[in-house]
Amino acid sequence: MKMKSMKKVVGPEYNLGDKIKTNVYAVGVAMQESVYPHTATVFYPRERKKMPDNFRGFILFDPDKCISCFNCSFVCPANAIRMKEAPNKRYYPTVDYGRCIFCHFCIDSCSGGALKATKIHDVAYKDMDAMFTPTEEMIELPEIIREDKKYVEYEIKEDDLHLKRTKGEDYLFVEVPPPKEIPMVSTCIDPGSCIGCRVCADVCEHGAISASVEDGGTLRMKIDTDECTGCGLCVKECSMQILMLNKLERE
Amino acid sequence: MEETEKDRNIRILHSGVFTPLRRWATKWSLWPCHFLTSCCGVELAHTGACGYDMERLGTLNMGISRQANFIMVEGTITRKMARALRIVWEQMPDPKFVNVIGACGQRGGIFWNSYNITRPSDIVPVDFFIPGCPITPEGLLRGVRAVQEKIEGRDNTTIRFKHVELPPGDGEENRAPTTPKIFAPTPLVRVDVPRDVDWAFGNDLVKNLKAQLNGLYTSITITEKNRIAIKTTPENLVETSRKLSDTMGVDHVKSVNVIDVPHERKFMVEYMVSGYTEELMPVILTIFTEIGREAEPEITSLASLWESANYSERELHDFFGVQFKGNKGMKGKFLLAPDTPDTPLRKDFKLEEEQYTIEEGVPLTPAITPPHYTPPSSSSPSYTESELEDLKMPAYEDVLKEAEKNDEFVAFIGPHHSGSGHLRWVMRMKGDIIKDVIPDPGYVHRSMEKIAENRLYIQNVPLTERPNISDPINMNLGYVRAIENALGIEVPERAKYIRTIMAELSRIGAFFYDMGIFPLFMGHSTGFMYSFAIREMVLELMVRMTGSRCTPSFIIPGGIRRDISDDVLDRTRNFTSAIHKRLKKYENIFVYNPVLISRMKEVGVLTREEAIRCGIVGPFLRASGVEYDVRKAEPYEVYDKLDWEATTGDAGDCLGRIFGRLEEIKQSVEIVRQAVDAVQGMPRGGVISEEILGDYKEASDDIRGYLYNVYGDLVLPKGEWTSVTEAARGTVLYSIISDGESNVPYRVRIITPCWMNLRGIIEASKGERVADFWTVYASFGYFPPEADR
Amino acid sequence: MMEIINTLMETVMSNQVSIPLIEPMLDSLPEIPMLQYMVAFMLWKPIFALLICPGLTVGGLSLLFFPWIERKLCGRAQWRVGPHEIVWWLGGVIQLLADSLRFLFQEVIVHKDAHRPYFLQFPFLSFMIFLLPLLFIPAGTIVAIQTPYAIQIILALVCLFPLFILGFGWASNSRFAYIGTVREAFMYFAYEIPFIIAAIAMIILYGTSDPLLMASRQSIPGIILNPVAALVFFIGAAMATGRMPFEIPDSDQELCAGPHVEYSGIAFGLIYVLCYEKGYILSALMTILFLGGGSGPAIAGLGDLSGVFWFVVKTYLVLTTLFMLRAVYPRYRLDQGLKLGWSPMLVMAIIGLAISLVVVAVRVI
Repeated sequence: MKMKSMKKVVGPEYNLGDKIKTNVYAVGVAMQESVYPHTATVFYPRERKKMPDNFRGFILFDPDKCISCFNCSFVCPANAIRMKEAPNKRYYPTVDYGRCIFCHFCIDSCSGGALKATKIHDVAYKDMDAMFTPTEEMIELPEIIREDKKYVEYEIKEDDLHLKRTKGEDYLFVEVPPPKEIPMVSTCIDPGSCIGCRVCADVCEHGAISASVEDGGTLRMKIDTDECTGCGLCVKECSMQILMLNKLERE
Repeated sequence: MEETEKDRNIRILHSGVFTPLRRWATKWSLWPCHFLTSCCGVELAHTGACGYDMERLGTLNMGISRQANFIMVEGTITRKMARALRIVWEQMPDPKFVNVIGACGQRGGIFWNSYNITRPSDIVPVDFFIPGCPITPEGLLRGVRAVQEKIEGRDNTTIRFKHVELPPGDGEENRAPTTPKIFAPTPLVRVDVPRDVDWAFGNDLVKNLKAQLNGLYTSITITEKNRIAIKTTPENLVETSRKLSDTMGVDHVKSVNVIDVPHERKFMVEYMVSGYTEELMPVILTIFTEIGREAEPEITSLASLWESANYSERELHDFFGVQFKGNKGMKGKFLLAPDTPDTPLRKDFKLEEEQYTIEEGVPLTPAITPPHYTPPSSSSPSYTESELEDLKMPAYEDVLKEAEKNDEFVAFIGPHHSGSGHLRWVMRMKGDIIKDVIPDPGYVHRSMEKIAENRLYIQNVPLTERPNISDPINMNLGYVRAIENALGIEVPERAKYIRTIMAELSRIGAFFYDMGIFPLFMGHSTGFMYSFAIREMVLELMVRMTGSRCTPSFIIPGGIRRDISDDVLDRTRNFTSAIHKRLKKYENIFVYNPVLISRMKEVGVLTREEAIRCGIVGPFLRASGVEYDVRKAEPYEVYDKLDWEATTGDAGDCLGRIFGRLEEIKQSVEIVRQAVDAVQGMPRGGVISEEILGDYKEASDDIRGYLYNVYGDLVLPKGEWTSVTEAARGTVLYSIISDGESNVPYRVRIITPCWMNLRGIIEASKGERVADFWTVYASFGYFPPEADR
Repeated sequence: MMEIINTLMETVMSNQVSIPLIEPMLDSLPEIPMLQYMVAFMLWKPIFALLICPGLTVGGLSLLFFPWIERKLCGRAQWRVGPHEIVWWLGGVIQLLADSLRFLFQEVIVHKDAHRPYFLQFPFLSFMIFLLPLLFIPAGTIVAIQTPYAIQIILALVCLFPLFILGFGWASNSRFAYIGTVREAFMYFAYEIPFIIAAIAMIILYGTSDPLLMASRQSIPGIILNPVAALVFFIGAAMATGRMPFEIPDSDQELCAGPHVEYSGIAFGLIYVLCYEKGYILSALMTILFLGGGSGPAIAGLGDLSGVFWFVVKTYLVLTTLFMLRAVYPRYRLDQGLKLGWSPMLVMAIIGLAISLVVVAVRVI
């Protein structure tokens, strides 16, 4: 019984000659490297490794683009993001860096592009309470202590790894284009089953859902398609499960 | 006012005539006692290795607490580990400093509601907290610099946020939404949901099984391709298994699982078994039975039949309180600490619920009761009797007595030991010969399985890679493949290739991690540095592909999060040729070193039969001559389209295990090269399956913006979905049980390769010399967080 | 009274280190009697040997800088840089000063189970054992005590080192320290015999055991006359200092540094330099036996210091080679180390002895 393409690996057998040879090789590598080393060290406090633009570091927030959809909070695997009510009664995210695992699921869930990644990742906190970052502190790029005068890039060329050093400070934040827009809108698929509990209206952050009493005393919920951001909160909360997110077909 | 422990250090530094000298000397001579509790240790190793070289700052890693003056708590401190942390801290001479790195040690990170974690800040005074999961080496060095500054008298947080007032407004008060998680009130839990598959061999096999097990089984169902469920009664379980073992060639257990179904008042116990014969290799037979849900449920153990079930049974005894009759390890706890809640995986033990909003007066994180283990202090100068008994666990009094009678020397090695990793070995030796090694795992048990039952399917993606962040992609891939199998999604071709590239890079990275730790255990720091230099290249590619060095969370059901750029592909292509130069030097100085060869040759031999009996997996099993590689036996992604060879050997000693993996590195480089060439010829975009995207088809080349919308309400069809994946250290098995209604899994069983290899380490080191234990141990690439989950 | 001083001065002046370069400076010293006496006393060969080279000053500086050189060199061979940031324009040269000061100021913990007095005495006593052999080692022509039995005395004193290591292990009263101590004892027997035979081979070869005579008789260095003995001596030195292939007793990953596992503060600091002390003495011995001691082309103006210079350079060369083994080799197992000591090395040492006899015979004929 032989499986195809299995390679048998046998460890080496050494006789005296091999032993001397391998000893010479080992010593040779050490001597060669101590004369002409292939050093791969980044002198961190005085220089910094350049991280790519997609690096996942601390998170910034733009309140103008936020639709308060709670997606970042719902998707956060560590429950580090929790929403806090702002003075304008909207819910905005806060990040607890004592829990954040920098998976950036939140940024990937933010359809408006309100959450943005920075390249900040080397931070030491004196106490744990300071690790909680309220919304107000997430809007502008924070300052960190920097001692770096150069930045290093790891360049993997065909022959070997090379370190490219450049004078100057590496930037810590890069603006990326907002995600593709996929307009969605909440629609009621079975208005007849509506029990008028108004949960959808209560939960809507944009006042897109309003209640009106129709003739005959039945309560009808009305969704304003222009105001609706497609955040999906009403869909989730609807006690009768009669709301649905639909793609908005714009002519 | 009473002086706190934290202030004492600074007071000592600032007193006396020689204050400036003392401060200067301490500043430049912070020797960290590496407290590699979990995954952040990987990044610590990188900081110490040549990529960042911590020694530049005078921070020389020192394993011995008496000579160190700085602890870096790397990650999770479990209840079991808390005691060790405190003891190590007490052992260190003043003045001493503690940095906690990684989110787990702060507010818990991804394990914030685990039943087994504690906060280091409750146990020892902490100077600095460094966020990240894991931290980057830069972050770690920033922590060192912060401590240096603190010694100089500048105790500062190194980040300053700018406060910007939010726009005022007069909106209406809104109700906060409720949790997005849906739990079915009375879930229907079935592990034998039939599925129509095109699998001729399976139909024959079922016929054959029915003939063999006549009268013993209740039902036999094909649940998926290569998966067969056999239902039997508790009384017939042993007989069924014996029949399978004797007549079908079933020789090992892949997983043991218990499922708690409280509303039906039953436990389901299942054994996933298979055989290493050519036909049976890809097949998993699930033998399951139901037992009543009493306080002390009982079932007969199969450990005497299949040794490989032994440790899993003991673990499940911890989790569910199920007594496996006949298993000798049913006394006391195995993975859990003595003060962890009993039977935590039963459904009636609830974890803390997530909060989605911040309300006044509600604390940010749930209170965690500090462990009640405190070492002797001035108020209570010695341990109590019961604490002493717990301290010695798992070497109970009878073991110690027996050792004494046989004139053996017993040493407790670990959990904080330069060469133990984070578990404890109770080593019984006679002279220089090891008689027996008793493992005491669980120091990094972070309750993955329980947490996974309480999170959305997509939230478990980062969770599944946490056990082994030296090989994150393969860990992820297994979980995601189980979901894809369940939903029947076909992944786009380009995504498959990219996944293969990443999985192989991750495998190379994991091998170099093991091949870097192995030299350390052999006292050869050059080998460590060289292999971590190569690993640094792998991580450079990883960070360029995914944005994170060690925890990409990049593979999602249906594809990958976003397409990778041509520039990165070029770099990856260069890597496949650049690696050889450094690999050659590494081989010459370390692997082919005659001293090392003499240390490895014929040490820790496991014959083919022993290897199968112990249930070891992966390259280690292949080194013993079993030709089982999941990538060949049950090909996934594009492994069947590429030209490569799996390795095997027949010596079964440390030499075979190391050289086998060295060859695998070369094969993996070859796979990466071929896959990159293939991807470069493909059109860009379309890396997420449109089946799963639904309305969000535009997001198929970059999920940014719609991850939650697409995956938030993912529900798996009813049944048990099992995937096996070849991770770097062996077969990783995910078994997801879904009730078909909830958007959280009902039960997730994770069997990691290191957990299975534990038994192999014990068997291989028996009868060897004491120093050889570390050769055997390191040759298995044991990674405690992976084993303990 | 004056007579005694005069007699003393005569003795002192008759055995002065002659340094032509600074002689004009000495002559132009102001006529302050005490200063002149003091300079003369300092330049008296025995005192110079004891205090400057090979004694306290050079020895102490070696202990302070040698670990740095080792760490830097190993770092370089390992694709990194080693200690660097402390004064980065000098490449972190005072790293060991910071480390030793830190140890000096740190708490010394004596744990409950330790044999307290011995636990604290042994590290300090071990420093004595480092100073004693230095009295007999000549740097060039400068030696504190000149005796025809110097090599034997040095060997005997060097053999005391393991005793102290056993002492640490015993006083620590810990399991790891115990295993490490037993290993040290085993290794001691393994290397000591071939090591001494190699030294005896050289004594036979030169027909003397007076280091000064030995140096003068090495018109061809001993390493060329008897390479086998040199190899055995070198491996023996590596074993004796516990360098990498033979770092068996205090293997960090297995036994947490074995005998020193419980030491902290300055006590550990003293133990930490122990192997460097021993390495320094053994390298000096190797220089004398195989590399011609302080002989070398005379450097104009240095006079007697020329010999000192060559002696220090050669010693450091041997020491560097010895410590660079760390970058090349992993660790042997105890039984392999013992086997190596008892069979190949013993055989090689005897071959070395035979070579010496042949060389002597050729010379006689």
